Amino acid sequence: MAPISGETPSILAQVQALLQSHFGLAAESVQPGAALADLGIDSLSAIEFVFELEGHFNISLSDGRADLTTVADLVAVVEHALGEANGPT
Amino acid sequence: MNRVVVTGLGVVSPIGSDPDSFFESLIAARSGIAPIEAAFADRLRLPLVAQVKDFDSARHFEKEQLSKLDRFSQFALVAARQAWQGADIKKLSDAEACGTYWGTGLGGAQTLEIGYEDLFVKGLNRVRPLSVIACMPNAAAANVAIEFGLQGPCNTYAMACASSAVAIGEAYRAIGSGAVNMAIAGGSEAFLTLGILKGWEALMTLAVPDKDRPETSCRPFSMDRTGFVPGEGAGALVLESHDHAVARGANIIGEIVGYGTSNDALHLSRPDPAGQVRAIRMALKEAAGRGLEMEQIGYINAHGTATRIGDKIETESIKAAFGERAAHVPISATKAVHGHLMGAGGAVEFIATLMALQRKMLPPTAHLKEADPECDLDYVALMPRRVPALSAAMSNSFAFGGNNVVLLARTIE
Repeated sequence: MAPISGETPSILAQVQALLQSHFGLAAESVQPGAALADLGIDSLSAIEFVFELEGHFNISLSDGRADLTTVADLVAVVEHALGEANGPT
Repeated sequence: MNRVVVTGLGVVSPIGSDPDSFFESLIAARSGIAPIEAAFADRLRLPLVAQVKDFDSARHFEKEQLSKLDRFSQFALVAARQAWQGADIKKLSDAEACGTYWGTGLGGAQTLEIGYEDLFVKGLNRVRPLSVIACMPNAAAANVAIEFGLQGPCNTYAMACASSAVAIGEAYRAIGSGAVNMAIAGGSEAFLTLGILKGWEALMTLAVPDKDRPETSCRPFSMDRTGFVPGEGAGALVLESHDHAVARGANIIGEIVGYGTSNDALHLSRPDPAGQVRAIRMALKEAAGRGLEMEQIGYINAHGTATRIGDKIETESIKAAFGERAAHVPISATKAVHGHLMGAGGAVEFIATLMALQRKMLPPTAHLKEADPECDLDYVALMPRRVPALSAAMSNSFAFGGNNVVLLARTIE
């Protein structure tokens, strides 16, 4: 997920790219509003994917108990964790 | 008591991963024993194992499934699929009356070890999120129940080397009593990790490698035996009531007619003839109730691990239980070629026993050139033996913890 031209892709774009490679999904399917269940991602698979997100963003999500239903939910927990990691601004 | 029959078999083993190739290897005394192929091989003093080398996870499972499946569950599912297919079950007549009875010694050992390695060796501060559900000992049984929709009992037995023999025996009892009318029974083991092999090494029960021919290092009943060789794999059987099998026109492989189980209640690792004899007699008594006499038993698949003490004690037990008849019953120990499959051993060896009955052909005890004078029975040394009149056979599993399990089967004409 290296930035192509020195510009870091958005968190949404990174999560979408990871979803595509991890689950073999088409780019157009991983829209923010898409339900994970509709993408064939059950609760255990989502937990497994969160592990990958943690490694990718170097964050810890495991204390959250967020309800992960959509692609946007995944993005939100990542943004939240990154915000915490960066401390209050 | 309902009659209980076997209608499907499945095998994942170091000497073949389907029943036919497994049995062909047994007959040819083709050994699956070799120095371990693993990154940690150079850390083992006694590196011999029996690995399943032809197992391609990606061929059997989606990538998504694999994160939930420890190797012992993967083996379980593949063996169960073979058995299910062999039994040719098109539709469950009553899913709630179908059970899963599974054995394992150590469950998801590899998952557990990877977690420890991540934490303690690599210094990571997290483990794979599905570690718990992948390594729990009942994971294999649960995965089998899910795949085939078996909604009745789903039990996992942990009796070391006797685990899957107990699983088969308990499934047989449940079907016999009418509580269940069909079951997948068996066991699986995938414990060839550095930590676990180090444990076995320290216990001083493993075979010392033969320098020139390492594949012959496990030598049950032989004068120069030095111990067993740990192996991995799975054995699965479809069991059902005779009525159920006949009603759906199933092909019947054999009938289970006796199950004996006892505990020595003496020592954790040293076997005891008295306990073994109790299990054999219990199975024989039950078989007698089903019309099978001891004189009809024409083959014994021994526990035969090739430890100094184990083979001698088992020989004593067979003599005590069979009396005069002991000298006339051919016995073989197939661990010489497939290794000690631990929680899968009882099932895989019972499958060998059933296939011997079916084919009227006894697998030999490989590498047995000179028998120990204290092991003086007929061990079908080196070469297989055709026995056209064979109609009943016994399989022994004697485990650490003092668990003794005996299964008896006969052919159905």
